[in-house]
Amino acid sequence: MGYLRLAHSAPPAPTPEGACLAAFEGEIDYVFTTLKRLGAAPHEIEDLVQEIFVVLYRHWRTLDTDRPIRPYLFGVAYRILYAHHRRHAKEVLYADIDREDGAVSPEGSLQGKQSIALLMAALKHLPMSRRAVVVMHDLDEVPIADIARNLSITRFGAYARLRKGRRELAAAVRRLSRGEARA
Amino acid sequence: MNRQEPHLDPELDALLEVGRFVPPVPEIVRVRTLSRARATVAAMAILPREPISTVRRRGLPLALAASLALATGAAVATAALLGRAPSSGTPAPPAIKHPEQPMHPDTLEVPPPSPMVEPTPTFTSKPQRSPRPTSAQESYAAELDLLARAQVACASREFSNALVLVAEHGRKFPSGRLAEEREALRVRALEGAGRTEEARRAAASFASRFPRSIMVPRQGGDPR
Repeated sequence: MGYLRLAHSAPPAPTPEGACLAAFEGEIDYVFTTLKRLGAAPHEIEDLVQEIFVVLYRHWRTLDTDRPIRPYLFGVAYRILYAHHRRHAKEVLYADIDREDGAVSPEGSLQGKQSIALLMAALKHLPMSRRAVVVMHDLDEVPIADIARNLSITRFGAYARLRKGRRELAAAVRRLSRGEARA
Repeated sequence: MNRQEPHLDPELDALLEVGRFVPPVPEIVRVRTLSRARATVAAMAILPREPISTVRRRGLPLALAASLALATGAAVATAALLGRAPSSGTPAPPAIKHPEQPMHPDTLEVPPPSPMVEPTPTFTSKPQRSPRPTSAQESYAAELDLLARAQVACASREFSNALVLVAEHGRKFPSGRLAEEREALRVRALEGAGRTEEARRAAASFASRFPRSIMVPRQGGDPR
């Protein structure tokens, strides 16, 4: 007995622009989180995300899309934020970060929320260059070789930044935890 | 080379484990970000990838005039052969779909103006210059082009250029169809240029003029 089978028409060939937008859409959460982790002020994050998209779009045709896109996006985010901070060098760095975002919320009942708030607050005590390596390696779990390539530094430099950054982060966490306990 | 990775404090390791979670952004922020990205794609599709060189820029009107003259001559000759004068009622050729039209038709719905040759009076010593009526489509395309350039300028952090383009749009199309986008862009450009007080005023006027706009919370500097 014959039967009917659903025949799907071939999907339309994706355009480079469509592929770029789709990739960006898939990583929006990551890009926002990365900018927060790198210390971008909440009110400037959306504009920075847009700048990241412009860079991604401009380089999309030459980008090796077989590789994971996150390390590349991180590299772009890092450079854009770095340039942004340099442009606003007269302003006090991180002075405009929302209190709510950085400080441990007293209402935060969940342990996880408090831990994240503590981590974000501690990360702010690291200089940008070391923070980028720590975030990329310890939070995004990117191998050192990829970090070195995407941040245009040597592997040795990446290891050195990671080592020092971790020390600073641990010290900041201890300091903040003590302060929290005292309060 | 497999270098020994620096030792990680167990307490810190536990903290980092929690911090690896990537929280989703609010839906409204996602929608706004994607619509801005689409607008950027549309703007970049309109604008040339490389700036036109001075020589090419100077040569462009000449080339345009020459092709227009050729086309007019051909039309006159054809009309003479057929024994009738060319009339303005000639149907325009079908609108040509731009080959590099971006994939989001919602952002660029306007087809490029059809390459219709306007009949020009041939034997008059002083041609009468009548203002060319601008169709709705043409004015929309012009609006879109201006704002697209302003959007790109804003995305490239050239806020003063963006403000110039926004002002030009405001002059040419005070109540154009893209007035809402223009005013939102003005607030963003003013904010980016560090003109906080003006940005705040512009944001307030935006909120009162377009109270239901999706861009209102953003202009108010509210949470994203």
